[in-house]
Amino acid sequence: MSAISELELRLGADWRNLHQASSKAEDTLQNFTDAVKDLTTSDASIVVFGSLARFELTPSSDIDWTLLLDGPSDPQHLHVSREIANKVKNLVIKDVGPEGTFGSLVSSHDLVNYIGGEGDTNSNTTRRNLLLLESRCIGNDEAYDRVKKNLLKRYLSEDSGLWRREVTNKLPHFLLNDIARYWRTMTVDYAYKERTRGGAGIPLRNIKLGLSRKLIFVAGLLACYTCHLDFEDDLARERFYSQQNTAGLVAKLHETLKASPLELVASVLGKYIEHDTATKKLFDTYDKFLGMLLNEGVRNHLEKLHSDNCYSDALFQEAKKLKWNFQDALSSIFLEKTSLLGEFTIRYGVF
Amino acid sequence: MREIGFSTGAIALDDFEQALRQLAVHTTDAIELSALRLKELRPLISALPSLNLTRYSYISIHVPSSFSATEEVELIGLLSEVPESWALIVHPDSIHNYELWRPLASRVALENMDRRKRGGRTAKELTACFDMLPEAKFCFDIGHARQFDPSMAEAYMILTAFSDRLVQVHVSEVDAQSRHAVMTYAAELAFREVAHLIPDSIPLILESRVTTGEIERELFKVADIFAHHSSEATRC
Repeated sequence: MSAISELELRLGADWRNLHQASSKAEDTLQNFTDAVKDLTTSDASIVVFGSLARFELTPSSDIDWTLLLDGPSDPQHLHVSREIANKVKNLVIKDVGPEGTFGSLVSSHDLVNYIGGEGDTNSNTTRRNLLLLESRCIGNDEAYDRVKKNLLKRYLSEDSGLWRREVTNKLPHFLLNDIARYWRTMTVDYAYKERTRGGAGIPLRNIKLGLSRKLIFVAGLLACYTCHLDFEDDLARERFYSQQNTAGLVAKLHETLKASPLELVASVLGKYIEHDTATKKLFDTYDKFLGMLLNEGVRNHLEKLHSDNCYSDALFQEAKKLKWNFQDALSSIFLEKTSLLGEFTIRYGVF
Repeated sequence: MREIGFSTGAIALDDFEQALRQLAVHTTDAIELSALRLKELRPLISALPSLNLTRYSYISIHVPSSFSATEEVELIGLLSEVPESWALIVHPDSIHNYELWRPLASRVALENMDRRKRGGRTAKELTACFDMLPEAKFCFDIGHARQFDPSMAEAYMILTAFSDRLVQVHVSEVDAQSRHAVMTYAAELAFREVAHLIPDSIPLILESRVTTGEIERELFKVADIFAHHSSEATRC
């Protein structure tokens, strides 16, 4: 049973929209896999991002993908990526976004080696963070797993405080800071898109920013917290961190990050019954948000809505309330210093 | 002191006698007698009574890595002539019928594979192999593990999953073409990351393809990697 279903059962909730979107994603992933699995090798993985990777697929969702390369250069890779694009066109109506972040070849070199600094472009930051927090592999996953683990190795082996004995809170600051930076990048890019693309579609983007985009940040924060929390007791943690055990921590975090963002959040928050009320509110809200996106009429209406007239629109107001409820639930869980999650967030997630 | 030595195949391919002569001048106390092809095994087993192996406190045999289903029966018959205290290093992907191996199971050490292979590379894939031969031991090839996953996370997973089965470690660089080679600096750094998970009681068998002049330096390098230095961070 998934962590979401376990939590739903324990909290007496009804998250049918979550299940519907998840089931739609599973069907699409299967169709996509059947269509493209022969195009992957141990050096080239097809990686999907976005709602499909989050298992939150709704009728108008697009498929964001890249052909991730981690091996010898092969001129045929371009033809392979064109073939993938053709297959994707047969599966969904919407194409990938215009930024060029998806729908093409991506080499592992820049992802792994350019974290920060001049070479770390907006696209590189986006791809790197989404690879860790919101991705799913289609077909042969060797290159995909290898790149993710090497990325984690960069963050964890170069974390100056993590392996020091006197540092008792074992949080990977390098990784956490990059995830926080990416969240802020998304919020700034939202303003950029509003300016460059005009006001149509911006209201829906605004809602997504406050829910599905913010969810990725929450999942990333919690994944970082598991580096401290996922131990039987203090002694087990102390033993694990008694020497630079990067390989062990990469293995642990890699396992944690295999879960979709919602599943990861459910698996961690499910252990903190003191947050049950807020956790239920968080998931209830997210379920309603997906319910809106699953309703084609509502989604089409929100997609066509212009930022100039959205504040008088009843559906947008309803969606906006969901965003606030989501934020309220998050504040209750993550910004109360009486709880461990709150303590960590106030101390490490904000300043 | 940890036992350490070479695979005869790394020194002189199928010429185990030549390899033993070359190694005689070095202070090694472990040896792996290599017969990677089936045709090499019979001569090796026939020669065993005449080989002077008294200096070696740990001896293993590397079983041929490729044989047909019909040859498997003959191979197992030959292996039953090997002294019982010696480990038999077996590639899991070479096995056709696990049932046939059951009489030898407690002496068999299944080895994790390089990335060319379709199985036996990860902890998950190895679990399936050990399920077929529950009594089998484990030979950890650290070069194969690094070639499959340079982050060494899979190496960690394998070592923690099968620590109770571990009897031997293969050490070498494994290049992109899956050839065993002399240790590089990058491999050295990677191996140090999981060295603390390998107890001193586990012998190291080097598979680095070295020249005579490189033997001593390679032995020294590997011994140093697996000596249990503290790896606590010292940076600010």
